[in-house]
Amino acid sequence: MRDGTLALEPRRQLIRATGPVRSDIGWGNRLTWPAQLLLLVFVLVPTIVVVWLSFTDWQPTDRTPWYQAGWNGWDNFVELAGDQRFLGAVLRTLAIVVVSTAVELGLAVLLALLFLEEWAWKKFAVTVLLLPMMIVPVDAANAFFMLFNEHGPVNQIIGWIMQRPFQFAWLANPQWALTPILLVEIWQWTPLMFLLVLTAFLGVSRTQWRAALALGASPFYAFRRIILPLSLPLLTVAVLIRSIETFKIFDAIYILTRGGPGAATESVSMFMYNGGFVYFRMAYIAAAALLVLLLVISLCLAVQKPLLERHG
Amino acid sequence: MVNPHRTRLLAAFRRLIVLMAMGFALLPVFWLVSTSFKSYEEWASSPPHWLPQNPTLQNYRIVFAPEAARQFAAHQSGSLDYKVSGSAWSAFGNSALVATAATFLSVTFGTLAAYGISRFRGGGRGFAFRLLTVRMFPPIAVVVPMVVLFSLLRLTDTHLGLILAYTTFTLPFSVWMIRSFIEEVPIDLELAGRVHGYGRWQVFTLISLPLIRGGILATSLFVFILNWSEFLFALVLTSGHVVTVTLQVANYVSASSGKLYGVQAAMGTISTIPVILFGFLIQGHLARGLTLGAVHG
Repeated sequence: MRDGTLALEPRRQLIRATGPVRSDIGWGNRLTWPAQLLLLVFVLVPTIVVVWLSFTDWQPTDRTPWYQAGWNGWDNFVELAGDQRFLGAVLRTLAIVVVSTAVELGLAVLLALLFLEEWAWKKFAVTVLLLPMMIVPVDAANAFFMLFNEHGPVNQIIGWIMQRPFQFAWLANPQWALTPILLVEIWQWTPLMFLLVLTAFLGVSRTQWRAALALGASPFYAFRRIILPLSLPLLTVAVLIRSIETFKIFDAIYILTRGGPGAATESVSMFMYNGGFVYFRMAYIAAAALLVLLLVISLCLAVQKPLLERHG
Repeated sequence: MVNPHRTRLLAAFRRLIVLMAMGFALLPVFWLVSTSFKSYEEWASSPPHWLPQNPTLQNYRIVFAPEAARQFAAHQSGSLDYKVSGSAWSAFGNSALVATAATFLSVTFGTLAAYGISRFRGGGRGFAFRLLTVRMFPPIAVVVPMVVLFSLLRLTDTHLGLILAYTTFTLPFSVWMIRSFIEEVPIDLELAGRVHGYGRWQVFTLISLPLIRGGILATSLFVFILNWSEFLFALVLTSGHVVTVTLQVANYVSASSGKLYGVQAAMGTISTIPVILFGFLIQGHLARGLTLGAVHG
């Protein structure tokens, strides 16, 4: 199935029709045991520990072992509710998700439209455009750190445009430090979005919009009424996946600013890292983690339905 | 209807936009590679030099030869910075070992689970989705208890610890990606195998596995890329012994002169080469991998 469509249903129905016999089901279960065991030990157990820790006052610097930590009730959550820094990190992360996903989608659609027809060095262009997503994220962030250096090429280019020397410490400025971070994210992941959008567009039968054009529809009309609706399911998946991944943003921020200056670029992940591994407030961070888990799980439940329809 | 003049104008416009996009895509990579060949004075010179004026391999020598690193550190500040003085060989060794082992385990367990899920609904109805949620929440949310758990199991700062962590957190990719390949195999082939007297295990190893060989290879390379590029777990679950390449890049910082741009760029250039190679090898499967099998390119 290389037509750019999503996984289809019939096989699954065939299984249902023939029906695995009971012993087969047991065998199938056993095949998943190694995976289940790993998830149990390294995901489920830690999650339970998070829930427990979040009601304690554990701080490793007190030299008490974690299992002897004192019960703290809802104190951590009460403190979190009034913590401007945590609230700021959550809102900032959501803003990063919305802005970068929207920009990625916009750029990707624009680019994909240019790649619908065949032209001379199209293959080469696609290869070059996909390069950013193959760079190790830490290295990409380092490259942007150099580009946005006070004496770096970005300021130089702005200086050329403004016709006078321009020096600006992007990463030290609370208002602007987020810009290079957003740009790393957009630079690195627009290629994926482009790849997905292009796949979606090419999945739309060419004859359909050619026919519309031949019948006198404007290209814009053909795009809006034929290509867009038919590729919408795939675009939805792309946007969902990018949103989920962007919500976790950490590497770029760690390399570029560590959440600074102050807390001006702190994402949820960076907030938790700083709280847990710089200030060693483990219990407090466990409470924050629990809230974030709940937030993500509720978001997941909201998007589960469209994803389920994809996968069956 | 088609105006040749307008068509040519459109084509020129398209070329312009594509060239601009390519420039944007290439600039950071170009800067990384260019900086890796610059001498110390040019790392952050003002105005910046786009191409090294005196191309040098010094940065690469600092990365790979401890002697060059020691000389450099002594020359710069008189004091030896332990992070700079370590060679990158061990980082490459650690990353290769951890990423390879974790990829092997992840793909092996992933293939078994994917087959069980796809053909026998193994693990129950919600299992595949429980796997997905592992990918959805930020890993940092479980990192605090993982640190606790790791010290309890004496896994902190060991290869085995990182391998297990990486295996677990790439399992969703392995399972969902391989599952999408398995579901492309007509189930009739397997049923035919059963009818002709193969057992379940024989059907799996003699019919299904050979048919999804390519998919397993693509998945392996994809998971290897993820493991090789991982940063957060390496940062939190190790403390100086098991240094991976991504940690080593961030390590090239000296107390006196801040980030060592050239050395970081050299290390970055080398460490990203395998990823680029593998990435282009599986270019056709990247969309499938990064969407966990939802999109077949």
